[in-house]
Amino acid sequence: MTPELEKLKEAGLKQLLPKRPRIAVGMDTCGIGNGALEVYAALQKAVKAKKINAYLTKTGCFGFCAQEPLVSVYLPGKPLIIFSAVKPDNLAAIITYITRGTLDKKRVFCKIETWDHLACKIDYGRDYPNIPNWDELSFFKWQKKIVLRNCGLINPEAIEEYLAVGGYSALFKTLKEFTPAQVVDEVKNSKLRGRGGAGYPTGRKWELLAKAHGDQKYIVCNADEGDPGAYMNRNEIESDPHSLLEGMVIGAYATGAAKGVIYARAEYPLAVERLKIALGQAHKYGLLGNNILGTQFNFDIDLVEGAGAFVCGEETALMASIEGAAGRPRPRPPFPAEKGLFGKPTTINNVETWYNVPAIINKGAEWFTQTGTEKSAGTKVFSLVGKIKNTGLVELPLGATLQTLVYNIGQGTGTAKSVKAVQSGGPSGGCVPTEKFNTPIDYESLAALGAIMGSGGMVVMDDDNCMVDVARYFTEFTTSESCGKCTPCREGLCQALNIVRKVTEGKAQEKDIFTLEALADVIKDSALCGLGQTAPNPVLTTLRYFADEYAEHIKAHRCRGGVCKDLFLSPCENSCPLHMHIPGFLELFNEGKLCEAFDFILRYNPLPASTGRICHFHCRHRCRREDIDTPVSSGEMHRYIADTVYRAHQERAVIQRLIKEKFKATGKKIAVIGAGPAGLNAAFYLSRLGHAVTVYEANAQAGGILRYGIPDYRLPKDILAHEIEFIKAMGVKFVFNKRVTAEELKNIIAASDAVFAATGAYEEILPCIPGEKLNGVISGSDYLREISLGKKPKIGKDVIIVGAGNVAIDAARSALRLGSRVTVVYRREKADMPANKDEIHEAVREGIKFVFLAAPKEILGDPQGVVKAFKVTRMVPGYYDVSGRKKPMATEDTFEIFCDTVILAIGERANARILSEAGLALNKNGMVKADPFTLATTLAKVYVGGDLVTGPGTAVEAMAHGQKAAEQIDLCLTGNKDRFTRLFKVSYGYKNEVPDKPSPKNRQVSGRLAVAKRRGNFKEVSLGLTKPQAVIEALRCLRCDVKE
Amino acid sequence: MDDTVVNFKVDGKDYQAPVGTTILTACRNAGIDIPTLCYFEEISEEAACSLCLVEVKGAKTLMRACVTKLMSAMEIFTNTPRVRKARRINMELLLAGHPKDCFTCDRNQDCELRRLAFDMDIRDVRFPKATTVEFPIDLTSPSIIRDPNKCILCRRCVSVCANVQAVYAIDSVNRGKRTKIGTYLDKGLGNVECVNCGQCLLVCPTGALSEQNITEEVWKALSDPKKIVLVETAPAVRAAIGESFGLEAGTLATGKMVAALRKLGFNKVFDTQFSADLTIMEEGYELIDRIQNKGVLPLITSCSPGWIKFAEHFYPNMLKHLSTCKSPQQMFGAVAKTYYAQKLKVDPRDIVVVSVMPCVAKKFEARRPEMASAYAYWKDKMKLKDEDIFPDVDYVLTTREAARMIKEAGIDFANLGDEDFDVPLGVSTGAAVVFGATGGVMEAALRTAYEVISGKTLEKLDFENVRGLQGIKTATVDIEGKKLNVAVAHSLRNARVLLDQAAEGKSPYAFIEIMTCPGGCIGGGGQPMPTNTAVRKKRMEAIYREDKNKPLRKSHENPAVKALYSDFMCKPLSELSHKLLHTHYMPRGR
Repeated sequence: MTPELEKLKEAGLKQLLPKRPRIAVGMDTCGIGNGALEVYAALQKAVKAKKINAYLTKTGCFGFCAQEPLVSVYLPGKPLIIFSAVKPDNLAAIITYITRGTLDKKRVFCKIETWDHLACKIDYGRDYPNIPNWDELSFFKWQKKIVLRNCGLINPEAIEEYLAVGGYSALFKTLKEFTPAQVVDEVKNSKLRGRGGAGYPTGRKWELLAKAHGDQKYIVCNADEGDPGAYMNRNEIESDPHSLLEGMVIGAYATGAAKGVIYARAEYPLAVERLKIALGQAHKYGLLGNNILGTQFNFDIDLVEGAGAFVCGEETALMASIEGAAGRPRPRPPFPAEKGLFGKPTTINNVETWYNVPAIINKGAEWFTQTGTEKSAGTKVFSLVGKIKNTGLVELPLGATLQTLVYNIGQGTGTAKSVKAVQSGGPSGGCVPTEKFNTPIDYESLAALGAIMGSGGMVVMDDDNCMVDVARYFTEFTTSESCGKCTPCREGLCQALNIVRKVTEGKAQEKDIFTLEALADVIKDSALCGLGQTAPNPVLTTLRYFADEYAEHIKAHRCRGGVCKDLFLSPCENSCPLHMHIPGFLELFNEGKLCEAFDFILRYNPLPASTGRICHFHCRHRCRREDIDTPVSSGEMHRYIADTVYRAHQERAVIQRLIKEKFKATGKKIAVIGAGPAGLNAAFYLSRLGHAVTVYEANAQAGGILRYGIPDYRLPKDILAHEIEFIKAMGVKFVFNKRVTAEELKNIIAASDAVFAATGAYEEILPCIPGEKLNGVISGSDYLREISLGKKPKIGKDVIIVGAGNVAIDAARSALRLGSRVTVVYRREKADMPANKDEIHEAVREGIKFVFLAAPKEILGDPQGVVKAFKVTRMVPGYYDVSGRKKPMATEDTFEIFCDTVILAIGERANARILSEAGLALNKNGMVKADPFTLATTLAKVYVGGDLVTGPGTAVEAMAHGQKAAEQIDLCLTGNKDRFTRLFKVSYGYKNEVPDKPSPKNRQVSGRLAVAKRRGNFKEVSLGLTKPQAVIEALRCLRCDVKE
Repeated sequence: MDDTVVNFKVDGKDYQAPVGTTILTACRNAGIDIPTLCYFEEISEEAACSLCLVEVKGAKTLMRACVTKLMSAMEIFTNTPRVRKARRINMELLLAGHPKDCFTCDRNQDCELRRLAFDMDIRDVRFPKATTVEFPIDLTSPSIIRDPNKCILCRRCVSVCANVQAVYAIDSVNRGKRTKIGTYLDKGLGNVECVNCGQCLLVCPTGALSEQNITEEVWKALSDPKKIVLVETAPAVRAAIGESFGLEAGTLATGKMVAALRKLGFNKVFDTQFSADLTIMEEGYELIDRIQNKGVLPLITSCSPGWIKFAEHFYPNMLKHLSTCKSPQQMFGAVAKTYYAQKLKVDPRDIVVVSVMPCVAKKFEARRPEMASAYAYWKDKMKLKDEDIFPDVDYVLTTREAARMIKEAGIDFANLGDEDFDVPLGVSTGAAVVFGATGGVMEAALRTAYEVISGKTLEKLDFENVRGLQGIKTATVDIEGKKLNVAVAHSLRNARVLLDQAAEGKSPYAFIEIMTCPGGCIGGGGQPMPTNTAVRKKRMEAIYREDKNKPLRKSHENPAVKALYSDFMCKPLSELSHKLLHTHYMPRGR
């Protein structure tokens, strides 16, 4: 180092670790966007007003965007303290700390005791044991900062601070100790690969340039970061511009290039400004230009601002753009190393690639290869955005899994929705589904999935994303960014976009998908440049991993994400399995048309009072009212409307109308096997369509799980029975106490025009642990069934329920009502419980105990063979599994819980043995094979639905199958599509207007039976909405169904 | 090991080719054709159409045969399911966006897109038209029409405009599906530096480019009994028009052409070669004058209207080097409506001059406002008003348009007997016919200049040095011990070389001939398609054959020209000749 630089370095150190407090505000684009400028101004004012002797400065970005603006404070000898989400009006914690040295821990984000800048370590100081060190936070824990080594810690506009943390020491070392060939070797040995996304070995690229002949050679930094959602390069440059320059100077020395060009995105004004400052400083201090650091080595860098086209990130287009021509790619070969910028040998590397170079020189190739995988060494910076709790810049060792990135670092969606996929590599990348999240992030593994590493954009998608729409979005981007030169990209992408759009509009046919796939393949195989060759990736990966969503759009005109607006009435309708016209019946109710509202409800759901009590309320998950306050309780509303109509005995007229509307008898005979929710609903519709329906039921009464599984305190039996009467009134015949054998089923099939089987899932799945046969071990569904039959099954005083689904909670609360002390044991955590949240909440209120993270190990019995204790393994939350939940991991630790009864309720399965014997093909998992869109089986005339197809689902989902089966059977028997739709047509009208102003009232919650009054009885707990509540609630609807 | 050749395999068979050969050339040499629409030999290697795809062992994607050079031990597959699928889909993509109005398209009979679709056995296009966007048709140019809707963006036109002509009037603009080939700020071809050479039109594989069609107006004139309709035919037309009727390229169809035009109803079938001889007289004397009186040298020919506009745009300071002689087309018009009108004793306004040209720039030239010398001649004599102005040449037909008219009239061109041009404006020498090929004006001028300066008879009339397709040709002629350096350039990129040299004052030449189009007029933008190097060569041979067969081969021996001077214009460079046969130029800016 020259004496001048040494002096500068010392000055820099005094700035970083001054003898007075140093306050540094993170002032990069995202910090500024979150108010860093205002914070800086407020701090300036406060420091001045209070005459505080402090050094106020700025830094770049520390990476945690979700917590911006970040302010770091250093007091001499103390750790660097980082405050997050600082606002101009909440500076008190910072000021207090500076002036008094006292720290309000709640306001502190983390501390940094020592920082490894790789070229040197900075020791701030050790203190505050109760404040987490930065790398103890989940966001940082898995990261390794090589590229981002200086980001957020030094002032990007102060070369002295860069020097203070060891900046330019790699350059000095290079010039002093290395020949150019040795530098190339070092980079080759480091196994560094291009961080622009294609992953070409950097050392090999440099070697080509070093060996190329030419009077002039160029090196180029590609800083034209254009992917939507990607901003790694912007932050790197904004936070630490000198590392880029140092990397390039070393690269120039290694390759013999006398000229460098940084092609920076013009939309990055701050990055450009800081680069200009850094270039000026480097010139001033002899780090660029002629005779660098006093040697014979000359090198200079030009800064060129990009033309604003995405394609200019492609290297041949980028060079054309630098040359002043339109940024259009040309064929390769010749490669740039042979014929590049202005026809001269050229090497182009991405910003991040250059950042790795000084670190490799300083620490050595061997050190670098210790991070990452065999083929992909080092780290990669990702911008983690989208439906993710912790957004920000993440530098991960290559080979870490997507799971680590999305769940450990990103902490999932941070909402009730689950992660569905990650789009890696921007518009050129692919959608990776959660099933593949255990894939290591490296060039080859991502490519194998059809995605690419790309420059590092990671966009997270959740349930609310439609994957077809995602493909549409990215294809729209590349279609408009195509340079228009080659046919497959220009014409092909446009055609692909049109097909995808057709899918989102429900206008596509199955054959369009074949065309789309062939087209995408050809674009990938024949486009001229990287843009075109990768542009089909979003389409191809969504086709590969989310084919069912495409199929749903095409065959069922359904968008499960609730995004493609042409395919649904309103988000609530779209989420409701029965597709109830929710805004319609709410509006009818608003207009005082109670019976019409009930009529409208009944057309979609013959059991509105019953389902209104026990539904999962799918409608609530997508209600747009949530953006204002809370979702509308549409389910409780149809319960209220039905209850009110029944109380006034007004249902008879409505039922009579439906009976009158029944279609002329078709003469077709249809058998329904099973009178559960699916069978009942199928019978309801088929009968209205004019078919003769007979339902065969093994039990003495209809209702299935509603009758024999759900306890009275949730669904009183008289309500259910009353509603089942409607179905009987439609003319449906019931044969009770008839468990159909395989032989009988064959006969029924032969004698019927169609058969719909929906026999449910009742078989208890056992945990397979010792002691299951002990006296006092019973199955959850058996237990609930006994109770529903009016019996009082004998159980002990201390009951353990194993499981966390609705059956488990129902069993627990029933046992409690019958006088037992109840403990629920679950192997995961509370948030992971699949039961209705409301039910869990009530169970807790009722005094049921919960033991989480405990997996069944053994049921212990006394010598008489009677249960005496339950032995469990203590679990710890491990990595995130496919479901997005932490997988419970067994520990060595076990413990016993005293009990005299164990109720097993970890799950049920369908038993399809009889169906199989009657000739229906089964899936590998033992469920009946059926077309998901028509529910047709492998046997002609036979349709199936409910849990037989899906495994244990909700009652309303089963009813939806009944609805669909009726539609399909009718279509098959009559060939007329319109008949089914006519069932929903009504003669009365209602207003189609969006409310001027949304009702200001919050969600109305129905009353609950006092906890004290629940013991010893099965009285209904939810009392339903009152009339004034219902009136308010219905007005809260935003009428998403009204289209302009 | 021989490092000048590479060994490679095509579809399993071994081949050898010189280093640097592309896969396309190699395959075609091996007897395997590969479809392409954007590649055009020697002109365009844009790698845009994506039809020439082949599979190369080890390559990640399919490769473009047109731009990929052979590498040692390369294994190429030209006919695999993967290749066929990609070529087919790309072809379908091009067809999906293309208008389906083949019946009425200018290129109905020679559309490469249509032919290739057939050759590729495309029976079904899976894609609908991708957008509803209709681009406006560019009608701003008097010579060329561009219909971007028919354009498949192969960029051959851009290549020829840039690489061959160095005019750079067009390039692709916009991105994605909005991409089109356009001009600076979308001003239109008529409002930018386009020189109307029409080379773009010759390379266009579709009907996106066509000439401004004027046949309807000519039909109208022919059916007007009050009009005396004269036709003049350029030298290069006779060497090419036969191709439009299925005759082989290089067929000399002078007699059939005259017969056909007469059948169409033209009152007189005359020859631009008459005025070509006249041009030589005027230009030859201008050259002699500049040499003897130390005028501006080099003198540069001025018969090629594309070149004139090019000079006006790009070399405004060099306009003084240009000969002031009008082109033969325009000299003909001026003579026809003065000398000939007087001879017939008719109102010059009743004479309609139609020219048949191998050129689309001639359409522009005929419309230049200064090209109304006959009107100026008669204005005072006939007391004409300003609005009575009439052009010297009324309508310019391209070779293709003339052929279409002959076809429409049902004339069996190929089986017509030969007929002769009418007198006097149909009389010409061999020196005039060679105007049709690059170097011809130079050769004709030299024949006359030699004899005029030396007063001796030239022994060998053929100046081989200035013939042929080499871009720039030079020669030194010894006239009585005086060395005259001359140069010939065809295509404007070559013209630039000589111009730049002259602009720097370093030109060793006294006389330069420049032709806009490659090969000269025989390769003009108005000629039948295809016009490529092979065809150009054959047409050129025909031109020199005609010259050889002419009884008179020197312009100053043309009896009709002599008569014109003795009866009307006195002598070359006389006052009247200046009025009628010379012109001036104007800088046009960029």
